[in-house]
Amino acid sequence: PLTPMTPMTPVTPASESSGIVPQLQNIVSTVNLACKLDLKNIALHARNAEYNPKRFAAVIMRIREPRTTALIFSSGKMVCTGAKSEEQSRLAARKYARVVQKLGFPAKFLDFKIQNMVGSCDVRFPIRLEGLVLTHQHYEPELFPGLIYRMVKPRIVLLIFVSGKVVLTGAKERSEIYEAFENIYPILKGFKKAS
Amino acid sequence: MAARGSCPGCGSAALVEDAHYAQQQLVCAACGCVLAEGLLTTTYTEEEHLREVAYSQSTGQKEQLSRCLQRGIRRVQDLCKVLQLPMVFEETAVSYFQRALQHPCFHLVSLEKKELLGGCCVFVTCRQHNWPLTMGTICSLLYAKQELFASVYLSLQKELGLSVPALSLGDLVKTHLNSFRLFQHTADVPATFVEDKEKMVARTMQIVELASETWLVTGRHPVPIVTAAAFLSWQSLQPAARLTCTFARFCKLAGVDLPPPAHLRLKELLEILLRMASQLAWLRVFNMDKKTVVKHIGDLLQHRIFLLKNAFCLEDGEEQRATAPGEGSASSPPADGRRPLLPPCLINPRKRLRTAALSASDSAITGDEPISDSEIEQYLRGPEEIRAFRKAKAWS
Repeated sequence: PLTPMTPMTPVTPASESSGIVPQLQNIVSTVNLACKLDLKNIALHARNAEYNPKRFAAVIMRIREPRTTALIFSSGKMVCTGAKSEEQSRLAARKYARVVQKLGFPAKFLDFKIQNMVGSCDVRFPIRLEGLVLTHQHYEPELFPGLIYRMVKPRIVLLIFVSGKVVLTGAKERSEIYEAFENIYPILKGFKKAS
Repeated sequence: MAARGSCPGCGSAALVEDAHYAQQQLVCAACGCVLAEGLLTTTYTEEEHLREVAYSQSTGQKEQLSRCLQRGIRRVQDLCKVLQLPMVFEETAVSYFQRALQHPCFHLVSLEKKELLGGCCVFVTCRQHNWPLTMGTICSLLYAKQELFASVYLSLQKELGLSVPALSLGDLVKTHLNSFRLFQHTADVPATFVEDKEKMVARTMQIVELASETWLVTGRHPVPIVTAAAFLSWQSLQPAARLTCTFARFCKLAGVDLPPPAHLRLKELLEILLRMASQLAWLRVFNMDKKTVVKHIGDLLQHRIFLLKNAFCLEDGEEQRATAPGEGSASSPPADGRRPLLPPCLINPRKRLRTAALSASDSAITGDEPISDSEIEQYLRGPEEIRAFRKAKAWS
C-alpha cells in the first residue's frame, strides 16, 4: 500500500490538449541604462525609492502602473520585476529609465532582455506526489511540500503540489511555459487515472 | 669501504662491504670469507638505491590524501558507525564524498560546509538503500542548521547527478518507534503504559497507511504523522488506562520530541476516524467524539476499505468541484453527509488575496506607449520636500 507507482508514459493520447492555459504571474527583465548613477542622490530626489546601502547595494524603486519593482545599481544596470506580461515589463522598465533621466542622469535603454517568466495553473485534481516518479525530479517533504521537476525540453522547472496547482518557472519566452505544461499535463492526468 | 672487526677465518682486518647481486655482504678481502649478509647499510645514500621508485615520482600524483579529505573521510566513517550502518554504506558514502570534494563546486567551500557534505553523502547513501534516515536526524548529529544542510544536499544531488528515491514511510515507522521508550517498564513509565513493540509497530503502520490513503501524508513532513499515529495506536491498545494521557505526556514518557505539526496531524486523523466510525453499524448508536473513537480504532482499521468508501465520496475531486462552481470554497455538502476525499488544503483552502489576472486593457499593452511627463513627475520630490527630507535625515 505504500509502494510508489511508476507510470512513465501518459495514458491519454498526446494530441489531446489540456484546455488549461497557464497564467503568467511574474516577469523578470534587465536593462542597461549605460551611465554611472549616484544612488544616494536618486534616493533623495525620488519619492518611490528606498536605499539602505548596509543591507543591499541598490536603490529599490516602485511604480504604480504597471505595478512593478526595480533594482537600480550604481553601475547603471537595472532589474525590473513584478510585471504580468513581457510588454508590461518593457513599459515599466522604460518608466523607471524615464524617472532616472528626469533626475538628471543621461540614462539610455540598452539591451532590454526578459530573464525569467513564471506561470501558474491548476489541473483541478489532487496529485499523489510520492507516487509520481519522473527523472530529474526532487520530492523531499521534509524540505518543501511540492515536487520539483526539472524538465529538459523545454528547460523549465515545475513545482507540482498535492492540490493540483502547478508553478512553471525558468522560461525566457511564454511559449516555453505553455509547452512545458502541455508536456506535464498528460503525465499527471494519466497518473491520476492509473491510481 | 673498510669495516671494523676481524675475519674469523684468517684474522685479517680488511673487511669490505660488497654487494653480491642485490644483497649486501660483509666479506674478508684477504680470504673471501663471508661474515654477514643481508642489509648492512650505514648511510642513507647507500639505502637509496635499494628503494623502490616512489608513487609520486612514477605517476606524478600525490598518493597521500590531503588532510582535509582524510579528516572528512574519518567524519563520514564515524557517522556511519554512530548510525550503525552496514559496511557497504560506509564505502559508498566515502566514495561519494571523495567524488564531491574533487568537484569544483565543493572544492573551495568553507569547512562547515565540507562537514555537512559528509553528512549529505551518508544521507544520500541511506536513502538509496531505502534505509529510513530523516534529515532531522542527520542535522541533529551534525549540529547543523537545516537550511544550510538542505542547500548542500541539493547541490550535491545536482552536481553528482544522484537519484534519491522517496523516503519509505513504512521503514520510517519501524525506525522511529525504535527510539520510543515504552516497551519496557521503568521508574517513570507505569506498568499500564508499557506496550508490546510488535503490536504497536503493526498498528502504527496501519494508521500511517490510512493517513496516506486519505491525503494526510503527501507534501507533509513525515515524522509528525508517525508520532501522531504512534500515539493513537498506543492509546487504542489499552484505552481504559491510557485515554487520560495527553499527547505531550506520551511523548515525554516515550523520550521523543513532540514536533509542532503533530497536534494538527492528530486532529486530522481523528476527524477521518470519526467519519469512518459514523459508517460502522454498531457504532452509529453511540455519540462518538474524539476520545471515545480511540477505543474502536482496531475495528475501524479492520474494515477500513469498506468504511472509507462509505464515509467519503471517492469520485475524483474534479467532478466534485465541477458540480459546484461559483459556490465558493464552502460548497454545500452532499445530501448523505459525506465529504469528498481530498487533501486538507483543498477541503479548507486558505483565503488568498489573489491579484486579478490580466484584464482586457492590460493585454492590449504593447510596451511602446508614450510616457507622459506628469506621470513621471508624480514620483519626484519637490524642492521643499527635499529640504524637509534632508533635515529629517540629517544627510549632507
